[in-house]
Order: sequence, then structure tokens, then C-alpha cells
Amino acid sequence: MKNQILKIGIPSKGRLKEKSLSVLKKNRINIRNSDRGYLSEVINFKNNEVVFSHAREIIERLANGSLDVGISGFDLLSESLPGIKKNIHIHKRLNFGFADLVVAIPKDWIDVQTIADLEEISFNFKDKNYGKLRIATKYPNLTNDFLTSKGVTQYKVVNSLGATEIYPFTNQSEIITDITSTGATLKANKLRILKDGLILKSSACILVSKKSLKEKNKKIILSKFLKKINK
Amino acid sequence: MKSKKYSENLLKLFKKQNFKVKNFDNIIESKIIIERSGEIFKKSLLSFEDDDGKNFSLRPDLTISACLDYIKNIKNGEYKYTYFDQAYRRTFGAKSLVRNQLGCEIIGSSSKKSDVEIINLIDTSLTKITKNKTVIWINDLNLFNNLVDSLKLPLRWKLRLKRHFWRHEYFKDLLLRLTTGSDLQKNVFELDKKSYQEMKRLNKSYKIAGRKISEILKRFDKKISEPRSDINGKRISKIIKEYLKISCKLKNAKTILKKFEDRYGVNLKINESDLFDLNIKNKEIFFSPNTGRSLEYYTGIVFEIYKKSKKIHLASGGRYDNLMQILGSKRKIPAIGGAINYDNLLKI
Repeated sequence: MKNQILKIGIPSKGRLKEKSLSVLKKNRINIRNSDRGYLSEVINFKNNEVVFSHAREIIERLANGSLDVGISGFDLLSESLPGIKKNIHIHKRLNFGFADLVVAIPKDWIDVQTIADLEEISFNFKDKNYGKLRIATKYPNLTNDFLTSKGVTQYKVVNSLGATEIYPFTNQSEIITDITSTGATLKANKLRILKDGLILKSSACILVSKKSLKEKNKKIILSKFLKKINK
Repeated sequence: MKSKKYSENLLKLFKKQNFKVKNFDNIIESKIIIERSGEIFKKSLLSFEDDDGKNFSLRPDLTISACLDYIKNIKNGEYKYTYFDQAYRRTFGAKSLVRNQLGCEIIGSSSKKSDVEIINLIDTSLTKITKNKTVIWINDLNLFNNLVDSLKLPLRWKLRLKRHFWRHEYFKDLLLRLTTGSDLQKNVFELDKKSYQEMKRLNKSYKIAGRKISEILKRFDKKISEPRSDINGKRISKIIKEYLKISCKLKNAKTILKKFEDRYGVNLKINESDLFDLNIKNKEIFFSPNTGRSLEYYTGIVFEIYKKSKKIHLASGGRYDNLMQILGSKRKIPAIGGAINYDNLLKI
């Protein structure tokens, strides 16, 4: 049997990286300390390669089969295109990385409490020729699906790359959708979550490439690895 | 070839009635389409960006192409378009991104005569080329709007029901919300009195994320003053559901709708509708308030044509008097059009 290398994706920075390494360690999966290097390996498991990568990239690589297993956020997986999602299996939801994707509006919009209010406001914007209500987000797909399902159709998505919370106050958007765990950052930026504005509840997940599951030999080594985590 | 024969014959019949064949632009600036159809439609477009960051799409729909052509080239008066060409979008299904679209439009006419002309032309042409009998289902969307206007509901709910009438599933959800009273109850609306008082002291023309303080306070005042407790959501939902169940021969529709008005104490403004005195040649014509609930842009008379046996959908269309403005016209240009269900036509 040809040696199969198991490719494992781990988030490359921040709390997600720390918590991922900690969960793996608890399950006796020890990753060689690589300091700032982006490649490493699990010391106590044969034939593997650990790739430290951006959480979004881990999802893309799992979908195309260049990673076999990885840790990333449920929010990022849900935001992916259907063609990517269909190639990834959620093996397990992990007990960290909890965050909600929510619709947040300026706190002083005291007349807006629900999505139904927002729908009305969006039409007011259009009628008053302000253009369309602009929504800044890093999650355009989830935002579109959620708002359309709630009857909000008159808006424009503004793609944000970061610091989304300031968009409404720098004339880049009127409202936002963003990920939040405690709501403190939103509050500090004079934003308020709509009462029925929860789009998605997220946490970190162990994700598996469906392409890898289709390869007999890969599947064996993958099962052994996942068993270790399940212990 | 059946397809070629059908399309050529239909176009010939349309051209005979002075409808002109035009070659439309293949590429449209995406923002024009997104402005009309909303952000969610973006996913359906086959688009690309140029070096300046401008986004363009392959034409997704030929009614839109006809409207844009009118705005750009015709500008005034009545113009009759017909076309048989390809439109491109992802919602056509996994099998193909391309759909043959065959249809006709009369742009720049608000006349009842144009409504009759489009319906009769499509219907008689279909009968002629398929040698099959057809039935027509017809509706006037204004009747529903009038029904909603006569219900005892806050304005925002009236607007909501009208705006989402064409989205079947979401509309059902709205009726459920009415039945259960959610969004109508007091506890949904929290009075943020402290912020309210603070904001009252501020400069009213100051803007918070694009909205003037005066606008926010005005809407806030309106919300708390709107009647809530005396709204009978269950009854209103029942009236709408009963209205949507009506299905009858067009010649009986006026009487049935009048009875409905009397029973529920509503006003459909039946006498203002053109629906009941349209001179349609086909006598197999029925009324249903559900007819034409498929497209957001329809505004008045809407119709659907079916093969009589097996009820195969062959064509549909309607009046779209607001679309031209949404697509960039500076003035209101009324229009009516219809499209053949080409895929189904090939099946018979």
C-alpha cells in the first residue's frame, strides 16, 4: 500500500489557533512546535502534515481535497458557495469559537426593533431616493439568504474586509451584519442587535473533505485520526 | 424541426401585427438589474468586472432588454417589440445557463386596447400553431391592492402585504404572523423613552447612519400612536385567504366578487377595474386572484394561458407600468407584455 499522507488544516492565528491546538493536545494529538512556520506535523501519528492556514482557506482546501481534515468555523462553512459546502462533511462541532452572526443597527435608530421595521426602512430609503439601504458585511451570502427570507429585499451589500462596526458611522453603510460573541464590540461602537436579528449560531468544527472519504486508503488513516479526537 | 417551426411561425404572426424584431444588447450593466431585482438576484447573473471595477452581465431577461432598448433608442410613443433570442442566467437550472425566450411587448401604452391586443395575439397564435385549444386565466392585481387598502390594518402592514404578494411562501408567513398577532402586539415594541427624550433635544436635521433624527422620531411617534389592540389579525388573515380561494369563470367574477365584498365588508373597487369588459376572443376565460403572482414587477392586468387538456402552461404576461422607471426612465412609461413558455411548447 502506497504511503498516504494525512493533511491536517489548523487555523494559523488568534484564539481559534490556540483553542484548536489545546483541544488536539487534550486528545493527545501533539503538534510539533513550529513557532512561526506554517508547516508542521503531529508527532504521535504516522504520515501526516499539519498546515497552518487562514480559517477561510481551510474550507476551500477541504473542498478541493488538498486538505483531508481541518478545524474551522461553522460560520465560514455556511457562508461558502453550495459547490464548496457539498464537498465538506461536518464531523463534530467543538466546544469553542462560539459566536453569533447578527444584524446590527445604530443604537439611536430607536424606531427600529425588528427585521419587519428594517424592511419598512429599506423601502423608505428607496422612496426617498437615498439609494438603497447599505449593509456592510463579511458574510454576503448568509446575509442575503436571511434578509430575503424575512422579506427584506431593498438593500445593497457592501463587502467589508474588517472593522465592519464603523461602517455606519463613516458613510460606508447604514447597518451591518457581523459576528459577535459577547456583543461588547457592537455596543462600544454604538450598535444594537435587532430582536429577531440572529442569522446564525456558530462554533468551531472539525471538518472532513468528502473527496478524502471517497479514497479507500485515505479513509482508513482519516478514521484512525478522528478516533483519536473522539476519545 | 419542431422548435424552429414554432418559433418562426409565432414570430411571423407577431410581425404581421406590426410587432418589430429588434436585436438587443448582449451585455447590460449589472447595477441596472440589481436595482430592480435586488441583491439576491446577483447570484443568478453571469457577470464580469471591467478594469474600472464596473460590473456587467449577460442579459438575463429579454423583457428587461426591450425596456432598456426603449429607454435608449425609442424614448417616446408606443412601440411594439417581439423577440426570439437567448437570455442567460443561473436560475434556469443546472442543465443550462441559456434559455430561449420568445415574447412580445407593447411599451408606451396604458390603453386597455393594448392589454386585449397582447392577450388575444398570444392566445390566438398559440392556438393556431399548436392546433390545440387553450384556456386563459386572468386577474387584476389592483383588486388585491384595493382589498388590502380597505382592511383595518396599520399602513406598514398594508404595504407589506402588497409588496410581498408575489412571493408565495413569504406571503403565507405574513398571514401566519397576522393570525398569531406577532408584530402587532405591544410587547414587541419596546419604548426606549430615555433615548427618545435625549434625541428630542438634539438638532433634528443631524443624521445618524443616513437617517435624520427628525425622521427617526417621527416614525417612532407614529409607531406608538398606531392602533394595535383593536386589530383583528385572525379575521384579516381569513378574509385574504378566502379572497385567494376565489376561482371562477370571468363572466361570473363580478357577481362573486360583489358577494365577497358584502360578506366581509371590504371594497375591491370592482367598477374601476378593466378586467370585466376586456374583449378577449377566447371564451374559455377564468378569474383567479392567484394568477400572475409570479413576478414582482406586474402592476395591473395579468394573464396565464394553458393548453386546455392536461393544463400545460404555455404563456404568461401582464402589465408592468412601473418597471421602466426602475430601469432608469425619468418618467413613468406604461407597458404590457407576454412571454411564451418555450420549453412547454415543445412538449406538446
